[in-house]
Amino acid sequence: MPGMNEQDERMRKFKNKGKDAAAMRRQRVEVNVELRKAKKDEQILKRRNITITLEDRLSPEQEKKDASAQLSLEEIIEGVNAKSLEIQLKATQAARRMLSRHRNPPLNQIIEAGIIPRLVEFLSRNDNITLQFEAAWALTNIASGTSDQTRAVVEAGAVPAFIDLLSSPHMHISEQSVWALGNIAGDGPLYRDSLIKCNVIPPLLALVSPATPIGFLRNITWTLSNLCRNKNPYPPLEAVKQILPVLICLLQHEDKDILSDTCWAMSYLTDGSNDRIQIVVDTGSLSRLVQLMANPELMVLTPSLRAIGNVVTGTDEQTQSAIDAGVLAILPQLLRHSKPTIQKEAAWALSNIAAGPCRQIQQLITCGLLPPLVELLDKGEFKAQKEAVWAVANFTTGGTVQQVVELVQSGALKPLLNLLSARDGKTILVILDTISNLFLAAEKLGETEKLCVLVEELGGLEKIEALQTHDNNMVYRAALGLIERYFAGEENPDLQPEADQDRQTFNFSAEKQDFYDF
Amino acid sequence: MCVCSCCMDAARRAAQQLAGQHPAGFAKMELSDANLQTLTEYLKKTLDPDPAIRRPAEKFLESVEGNQNYPLLLLTLLEKSQENVIKVCASVTFKNYIKRNWRIVEDEPNKICEADRIAIKANIVPLMLSSPEQIQKQLSDAISIIGREDFPQKWPDLLTEMVNRFQSGDFHVINGVLRTAHSLFKRYRHEFKSNELWTEIKLVLDAFALPLTNLFKATIELCSTHANDASALKVLFSSLILIAKLFYSLNFQDLPEFFEDNMETWMTNFHTLLTLDNKLLQTDDEEEAGLLELLKSQICDNAALYAQKYDEEFQPYLPRFVTAIWNLLVTTGQEVKYDLLVSNAIQFLASVCERPHYKHLFEDQNTLTSICEKVIVPNMEFRAADEEAFEDNSEEYIRRDLEGSDIDTRRRAACDLVRGLCKFFEGPVTGIFSGYVNSMLQEYAKNPSINWKHKDAAIYLVTSLASKAQTQKHGITQANELVNLTEFFVNHIQPDLKSANVNEFPVLKADGIKYIMIFRNQVPKEQLLVSIPLLINHLQAESIVVHTYAAHALERLFTMRGTNNTTLITNTEMAPFVEVLLTNLFKALTFPGSSENEYIMKAIMRSFSLLQEAIIPYIPSVITQLTQKLLAVSKNPSKPHFNHYMFESICLSVRITCKANPDAVGSFEEALFMVFTEILQNDVQEFIPYVFQVMSLLLEMHKNEIPSSYMALFPHLLQPVLWERTGNIPPLVRLLQAYLERGASTIASAAADKIPGLLGVFQKLIASKANDHQGFYLLNSIIEHMPPESVDQYRKQIFILLFQRLQNSKTTKFIKSFLVFVNLYCIKYGALALQEIFDSIQPKMFGMVLEKIIIPEIQKVSGQVEKKICAVGITKILTECPPMMDTEYTKLWTPLLQALIGLFELPEDDTIPDEEHFIDIEDAPGYQTAFSQLAFAGKKEHDPVGQMVNNPKIHLAQSLHKLSTACPGRVPSMLSTSLNTEALQYLQGYLQAASVTLL
Repeated sequence: MPGMNEQDERMRKFKNKGKDAAAMRRQRVEVNVELRKAKKDEQILKRRNITITLEDRLSPEQEKKDASAQLSLEEIIEGVNAKSLEIQLKATQAARRMLSRHRNPPLNQIIEAGIIPRLVEFLSRNDNITLQFEAAWALTNIASGTSDQTRAVVEAGAVPAFIDLLSSPHMHISEQSVWALGNIAGDGPLYRDSLIKCNVIPPLLALVSPATPIGFLRNITWTLSNLCRNKNPYPPLEAVKQILPVLICLLQHEDKDILSDTCWAMSYLTDGSNDRIQIVVDTGSLSRLVQLMANPELMVLTPSLRAIGNVVTGTDEQTQSAIDAGVLAILPQLLRHSKPTIQKEAAWALSNIAAGPCRQIQQLITCGLLPPLVELLDKGEFKAQKEAVWAVANFTTGGTVQQVVELVQSGALKPLLNLLSARDGKTILVILDTISNLFLAAEKLGETEKLCVLVEELGGLEKIEALQTHDNNMVYRAALGLIERYFAGEENPDLQPEADQDRQTFNFSAEKQDFYDF
Repeated sequence: MCVCSCCMDAARRAAQQLAGQHPAGFAKMELSDANLQTLTEYLKKTLDPDPAIRRPAEKFLESVEGNQNYPLLLLTLLEKSQENVIKVCASVTFKNYIKRNWRIVEDEPNKICEADRIAIKANIVPLMLSSPEQIQKQLSDAISIIGREDFPQKWPDLLTEMVNRFQSGDFHVINGVLRTAHSLFKRYRHEFKSNELWTEIKLVLDAFALPLTNLFKATIELCSTHANDASALKVLFSSLILIAKLFYSLNFQDLPEFFEDNMETWMTNFHTLLTLDNKLLQTDDEEEAGLLELLKSQICDNAALYAQKYDEEFQPYLPRFVTAIWNLLVTTGQEVKYDLLVSNAIQFLASVCERPHYKHLFEDQNTLTSICEKVIVPNMEFRAADEEAFEDNSEEYIRRDLEGSDIDTRRRAACDLVRGLCKFFEGPVTGIFSGYVNSMLQEYAKNPSINWKHKDAAIYLVTSLASKAQTQKHGITQANELVNLTEFFVNHIQPDLKSANVNEFPVLKADGIKYIMIFRNQVPKEQLLVSIPLLINHLQAESIVVHTYAAHALERLFTMRGTNNTTLITNTEMAPFVEVLLTNLFKALTFPGSSENEYIMKAIMRSFSLLQEAIIPYIPSVITQLTQKLLAVSKNPSKPHFNHYMFESICLSVRITCKANPDAVGSFEEALFMVFTEILQNDVQEFIPYVFQVMSLLLEMHKNEIPSSYMALFPHLLQPVLWERTGNIPPLVRLLQAYLERGASTIASAAADKIPGLLGVFQKLIASKANDHQGFYLLNSIIEHMPPESVDQYRKQIFILLFQRLQNSKTTKFIKSFLVFVNLYCIKYGALALQEIFDSIQPKMFGMVLEKIIIPEIQKVSGQVEKKICAVGITKILTECPPMMDTEYTKLWTPLLQALIGLFELPEDDTIPDEEHFIDIEDAPGYQTAFSQLAFAGKKEHDPVGQMVNNPKIHLAQSLHKLSTACPGRVPSMLSTSLNTEALQYLQGYLQAASVTLL
């Protein structure tokens, strides 16, 4: 459970400040439980449905011809099982049309109707490419549904058939397969890996060429990104190594959809252990990713920031390569981005850079990150402020005394203390911990008294005092600790009486031990 | 109640067990009316005021609670008993039983049998819901305790069971469910995010959010259909309050998808409720908040939660809430019952107006004026309740007003709003308020005796407008430049304080004094000087608040620093006022209610410290008053701060007087010893550590031999009972050190039989990781001052004890103290004696200590004197210890020299091994002594090598030179073979500075 680990990590830090800088880097916590609304952009990425609006583009003349042919579910079942090729096609088309409805396509009814095995059969009908295409389309849409719906398609044996169709001489059929396979791969690590085992990658990569039409290339990129997606387990190393060179090429493309999906793929590949990050670092693509962080398109910016954010959760060396690629020059504008989500992601990345050794912290200062960080801390949306707090906390843990002084001089203290009234126990605890780090630095400078005054002036003391009644045990103890250590005032008599004894003196005696060895 | 056969059977078993334990009372117990009657009897006895009846009954119940069926019997009683008092008592007993026993602690036996657990969970919800409110609350608490352990895994149907009741339409039942849900879910407000927690919340949301929303809507509808039915409204509003609280808990960790999708429903209704009023819900009570206030207050909290955490999603609703809350403030009265609502509402506005993207909601001049006029000014008014506190509960008033424990008050919230608005609108806000201040002052001027509250509000307004940053120690440190503080002081504050009658308008006097206090850094010094006699005069005011403030203000002024780090107010400037100041301060202590006033006592201490020798003429009277006070409070010490400052004042009297006239110490002893004896004899534990410190101070004032009165006390100081109290240890060690400094030879000659007892103290202290440094303080004094022959026979044992500690529990603190001691010993007895005594305990011991302790750890020694002692000691080992030159110890010679040069030149090694981070903070030196240490009884730093060695580097050079002349050639060759170059460079520097060369 990442949540728990994070907590333990914090506990360790609390007592043994600065002992383990590497442990402070916070991986993107894979949240198993989410209370929030899932983010729409990410949800769409996972699966794609083809709705009726796309239909005209794909098959205008057939559509017109059959426009009047609305079949009932029973008629469809009957039709696909009929002998007549024409009736089969008609029924398949009707099914596909039903599944392409914009609102609530009847996925489950179609599945329950038991026609999937027939549709899968039709995939192999090289004799009738229209039927092949209609079946592929219908199956694509079923596969775009829930996990159970995707399973219905896979269990009917569609995967090998679709992989075969990748090499179809008809481009619209191979494109449809790419789409279907993308949906299946996006379901999760299990199907992703079974696709990879069925050798989906070589024919898929073979479709990429300078001549590939842009729309098709978008689909391929998206499917590739789904093949890189998901952890537990990661995609097989071999597969990643096969895909990466193509991704690196796609990263140079100019189309924003292609760039977006490629960057998402890079973000999936970097979202993991350090050796996974290293594979991406070794491709030398960080500079391009950093460059894309400045892209005006949110859909490109978001995943490239995510990818670089993942890289800086890695080792000091990996973080350094992101710094060398110029990430610190881009972050200020992202910390000031109009979208709170971007601010938050940027601050998260910054917090991990601040968890590095003091030379990296120095680069962070030199590149002018403190002013935007302080601004964010002061005025950002709460979720961004939370990350900014972590950045400051890490900074004070790993920074030199001089660096910590610069942080305070940049005005970080006031917004930090203000956030002590945040409605979030964890954030409060991190801040208290940070304050305690600031005091350690002040002690080294002999300026404890000055910091006490500053904290009090900025209204911090009052807030810390109030936290002594916080319901969370760790928060109240941390607050109490600060008060006792730095604000306890001049005196506090505390005398503990103990039981009487009527001996007159202590005895003084000592006997030598057998052997001393220190 | 489950009365199935298995339970009956269990009851019988329980009764049999009881029979074995309590043959007299419980042998006949069965699950019958008779047994319930027995339990009833015992419960009744637990309510008896007579402890002789109550305690045995409580004990009995506790002794049987481990038996199966006990909780079920309680549940039966609380449901079926004829007597209401027994029902309630059974429910409380049940809840406490659950609290003590439900949790299953790892490695401990399960304290409630499984059958009982199942039966309780199966029955408690319906039982709770059908019980009267008083019992319902207890059972609801019990459910939440059980829920904390068992929910959701071990109590999966709890939520469904609860949610189903929402449809009952019976609001007594519904409120029971809501209350229980609230106590189950409120922990979501403070627990840290974890997968476990969020899984639970998600589960709760899935089952609970929709029914809660529907209930919310239905309840609001019912409120309008029952708008004319007071009793129905009360129940419905109780539900709404609980629903609003549940909303807060469920939305605390993150914004749940459900609530984001239903924000419109919730926020629109919350908004409507904020603006709602109904005569039927208004209460006559002025103090207690009514349902309407509680609900609106919770809604303000909910809005503030969303505004703070989910700003992006909440933005469309926020302006509406700002308007509603502001209207609410404008229409809410001054009664105490509205306080929480008003302060929550103002705090909401204060937090919003600071945010840049909401600035536009406030910037209109009319809006600002209206906020100032209708929200801020009315809430700054001094109310009847404040007046009451000022007169009758002055301690509380002072704490709130002076020490800032006013976080929830209206004035405070209004003050925060002023500061929030000033962030963007300092100019306009100051302008608006200046107008108000002027008009309020004019009102006052028209008829002071009626309109004095207007002036109070004006002063408060100026204060809150002007102060941007404030600390207890320095007062206001940053002020609004747009407010002319001095002018206001001269025109409006001083006249009040100059009035001849110190008892007139006490609130305004207190305001004026407070003004001086907090703006002391802004008001020019000449104005402060004008104020001092006024403040001294107000020490005579009858009002506790006024004379306390006067004392406190004087004390604060006396601590202000001027240039050159001297006090701002000099004792020359104070000269004309010495007598009246001292007289008034001591007189103030005689006011009823101020006899142990810590502010006055602190002012006495500070005055002594400032006035110095100017107080000497008054000492005879002062010391009499202080000893009388001491005698009086020692009967029942209750004000620790007061006591502390009193002892500090005594110390200052001693110091100041004896500095001018050392012989005066006798008269102090005469005055104090009687009281001290009484304190020691009566074992007044709070005061004993102070007495020891004052005695140390007095003893150190003696220039000659130690007086016999002290010697008579000496044996008593070695009594183990005194040393058992941790608070006594530092002052007692300090006192024994004073004995050793002044009277070592007397002890050696007249009390030689007490030396083992003295060393026993050392042995006791050294055994403790917390107190070992105190043991070393004592030991160092013994070695330094006792005639060598008097401790000769114990020396070996001392070292054996130290080696044992070193062997068994070595800590950094111990090693640091040990190193200082070893080197002090070396200085005192010679390096050769050190080597001999070590090696006599165990062969080659000296080498081992050098190699394993001194060389690797010397860098850790801290403190200038300590470092110097170590430097001189090591120099002696290097240059005055023949075995270092001609035995196998020779190989340690250069490493030791290198370590010594490191001690001179390298930064101190302040690392501490990981495992020692966990030693309690109290164990670290410095903390132990801090708590009752008297600043003015402080011990001067003592440098035992001060006269012998001035510069230890030069001393090293000279000693090496001497050594090299004794054995020419040896020293340079040892240096050149193994001393590193950097160290060698430093050493050459020392030699040069000492103008010597090595041969």
